[in-house]
Amino acid sequence: MAKSKNDAVWKSILVLAAIALCSGLLLGFFNVITYVDPLQSAYDRFAEDTGASFSEMADEEGQSYENGSVVYYALSDDGEWRAFLASGSGGYGGAVQVYLYFRGSVLEKIAVGENGETFLGNLESANFYDQFLGKDIAALDELNADLVSGATKSSTAVANAIAAAVRYWNENVAGGETNESA
Amino acid sequence: MNRRKIKETVLGGLIRSNPTFVLVLGTCPTIAMTTSLAQAFAMGLATTFVLIFSNIFVSLLRGLIPDKVRIPCYIVIISTFVIIVQMVMRRYLPELYSTMQAFIALIVVNCIILARAESFASCNPTLYSALDGVSMGLGFTGALCLIGIVREFFASGSFAGIAIPGFPAMSGAGASAFGFIAFGCMMALFNFVIQKLEDRKERLRRASLPLQGGAGEVKL
Repeated sequence: MAKSKNDAVWKSILVLAAIALCSGLLLGFFNVITYVDPLQSAYDRFAEDTGASFSEMADEEGQSYENGSVVYYALSDDGEWRAFLASGSGGYGGAVQVYLYFRGSVLEKIAVGENGETFLGNLESANFYDQFLGKDIAALDELNADLVSGATKSSTAVANAIAAAVRYWNENVAGGETNESA
Repeated sequence: MNRRKIKETVLGGLIRSNPTFVLVLGTCPTIAMTTSLAQAFAMGLATTFVLIFSNIFVSLLRGLIPDKVRIPCYIVIISTFVIIVQMVMRRYLPELYSTMQAFIALIVVNCIILARAESFASCNPTLYSALDGVSMGLGFTGALCLIGIVREFFASGSFAGIAIPGFPAMSGAGASAFGFIAFGCMMALFNFVIQKLEDRKERLRRASLPLQGGAGEVKL
């Protein structure tokens, strides 16, 4: 009796382990064929969203701050667009990646990238992005953004990502330009 | 293959035990993902894919999986296919993926899939299970698309992203509360139509029976 019970336990463990192993192998295979190079996908996304071409990242390393980070920053080949892939912390499902596009120094477009949020749709319907769009970088009030009720954490994360890009701009991009003109 | 059983399986998933309108399973993705037709369709297809493959594998392994560890086994199988869907969507549909990411991951715990694995695939041959996956998945997709069309029409005055002139967006119609109302109304309508059709079929069947059968019933 005891022996057959032991056998059942071993069989359960073996079957479960075999299924897990097979699914691991299958996932490994799919991971190889669907692998996306993050840098390449950022290039593609920048080009698709702005219609301009980007041939090199101005900053591949990025910069981290307390509440967010700039992952990539690039200047388009014609010098018209500045594209940021920024990430803001404080979301409900972790960090939220946001694509930000400046034409000259005016924020023209915001697109949400990878995230784990379930209420991002509310940001669109509450016109959350309108308080940033079309504004010059100097006029952005990203630290006192009007958050969306019902999606407070998601909107905080997006505002944090914008804040990271603005800070990066003030520290690196704007400084560089004044040096050039001086 | 038994023709009657095939017909039953197909009709069951699509209409008679439609997962959304009749079994009322998977309400979370139904409410969350039906704010637009495109999202509803993508969610339905993703679920259908997972449902078909999890049904096939659960059915293939049904003799092998010990009863006591069947739920962990099903979950491992289901989550494998959900992660595959995630990887493929991330590679080929990055924009759609970024708006649906959290919900795609939640397909793992979608009760339609677990219910079909437990109640159908674990005790039926592989071919029927695959067919059940297709019909249940399409039934789910169809229901989601119907609700998606209604909700998108009210919430943004458009059809599949194309604005319909003369119909302004109704503020608040995109909220979950309206989602539940729309879902309830669609469910009532669906069941009403199905009931009417069944009644008519039943009447026709009775009318074609020999007379004494009907008379016997009255006497009783």
